[in-house]
Amino acid sequence: MRRGDGKWFYLFISPWLIGFVGLTLGPILFSIYMSFTDWDLFQSPNFVGLANYINLLTDDPLFWKSVGNTFFYALISIPLGMSISLWIAYYLNKKIKGITFFRILFYLPSVVPVVASSLLFVHLLAPTEGLINKALRIFGIQGPAWLLDPTWVKPALIIMSLWGVGGGVVLLLAGMKGIPQEMYEAASIDGARNTQSFFHITFPMLTPVIFFNLVTGIIGALQTFAQVFIVTSGGPDNSSQMVVPYLFQNAFQFYKMGYASSIAWVLFIMIMALTLIVFRSSALWVHYEEGKAND
Amino acid sequence: MTNSSARDKVISYFFLIIVGVLLASPFLYMVSIALASDATTVKSAFTFVPREFEWTNFTSIFTHNNLGVYLKNSVIITVFTIMGSVLSASVVSYGFARIKARGSRVLFIVLLSTMMIPGEVTMVPQFIIFRHLEWVNTFYPLIVPSFFAGAFNVFLIRQFVMGIPKSLDEAAMIDGMGHPGIYLKIIMPLTYPILAAIAIFSFSWNWGNFMGPLIYINDPNKMPLALGVQLMTTVGGGQMPPWNLVMVASLFLTIPMVLVYLFGQRFVYEANINGGSSGIK
Repeated sequence: MRRGDGKWFYLFISPWLIGFVGLTLGPILFSIYMSFTDWDLFQSPNFVGLANYINLLTDDPLFWKSVGNTFFYALISIPLGMSISLWIAYYLNKKIKGITFFRILFYLPSVVPVVASSLLFVHLLAPTEGLINKALRIFGIQGPAWLLDPTWVKPALIIMSLWGVGGGVVLLLAGMKGIPQEMYEAASIDGARNTQSFFHITFPMLTPVIFFNLVTGIIGALQTFAQVFIVTSGGPDNSSQMVVPYLFQNAFQFYKMGYASSIAWVLFIMIMALTLIVFRSSALWVHYEEGKAND
Repeated sequence: MTNSSARDKVISYFFLIIVGVLLASPFLYMVSIALASDATTVKSAFTFVPREFEWTNFTSIFTHNNLGVYLKNSVIITVFTIMGSVLSASVVSYGFARIKARGSRVLFIVLLSTMMIPGEVTMVPQFIIFRHLEWVNTFYPLIVPSFFAGAFNVFLIRQFVMGIPKSLDEAAMIDGMGHPGIYLKIIMPLTYPILAAIAIFSFSWNWGNFMGPLIYINDPNKMPLALGVQLMTTVGGGQMPPWNLVMVASLFLTIPMVLVYLFGQRFVYEANINGGSSGIK
């Protein structure tokens, strides 16, 4: 450490430091305080103690419904999306002609802004004229009314999420390229078939990437917003309402700033708890090469 | 070539083509709707393969709708947010990567832990702050926060800077160069690839950002495209939204993202390798 370095350090990091205090730490403290008030933005806030949290957790069926819907969505879309992306990555890793074209094609849907894909899926999922039901009709299947049907609206949102599955594929593909070829050669000398080497080499070697995709997937799914807001507005009969749209509604449509803040904190705790559980479980199934444990 | 590898090839192509068609068809449908006439739009009688080619949709949207204004707003907001995120993260990451000082380790841990806080926690109080500053219905709430160095970007550049040999700085220091000089003349130019990656991340986040404008912008003349296109669908009085024009606008929203990805993917991959596979979005 050289003399005078302290001054330079704080000068260099000052943009972050100011932003941290003004836009993160300050708002966090403010948000904690607000969650104990009944502030409606126009009158001065009243301190109501734990009333928001108690109300939220014991007396707000719509909140629980939105939590249930969010978890349903996460619980199906994440494993489904991850298995499909693993399957896709396996084929995109083949050394065949034109593979670059397929790699680009498969990734493109995931760069489409969620607003554009949401507006597009309104049409793809339309009951009679929608492309998905038209395609199903070719096979003699009468598709459901998707977005208008309480049982099918969540699967519809899950189908929508699968369109962007290529985002996670990129990392899996990079991971696959990092697996030493000798491991496969050794396995094939030992008589391993393709499926065996996939489950004994490829999959274990990819678990760090799968772990990363799982964590970001959970965080992303619990924060689902634009799809619900644009495609379904939470309907029909609140069967696609989720936590963040519900938070948004409370804050910016009902002006219940205090209540919205308490929802934000409950969401934070849910995200934290799930992330911690996944991190704890990772010791059981995530395979790190020796000496690379800190990667 | 053995039999099994030929069979393997056929299976691979079969699978890739089927999934490829599934993933490409929404794009084709988007184009088909964008080219439909008003009469078809009113009846919602869209077809997968375009039957009509109303290219005038692509020009009339500028005169009858606000598309030009939305586009201009989007460009202004993204240009400034890209500048803000790249500049601030670059400066801050130099501090964390290269200057040892009292509290630097603790502050870095604080920076990393802020990545775990979901934006929803600070969303409501930030709105109240910006409302007090009378910044609602301006671009400031969308632009200004980007000038305060995002934690993820700082982390990414710092990882990259850590890989640059320290002997470079030390030699410069012996030559009498101070931290501003080392940063500007040595470190910053070496980080261009990762800064490009951050510019791309920042572009893709801000170009498509929906929630921010939804919270702060009510005036249609100040809306970026992501919000404006959604507004086009909210026509009152039981009327049918002009879906063909909405899809034209959606194409305008989508195409820059695709282009930036195609031209910028090299940097994004590099960032992923150096940042230890951290996030493509």
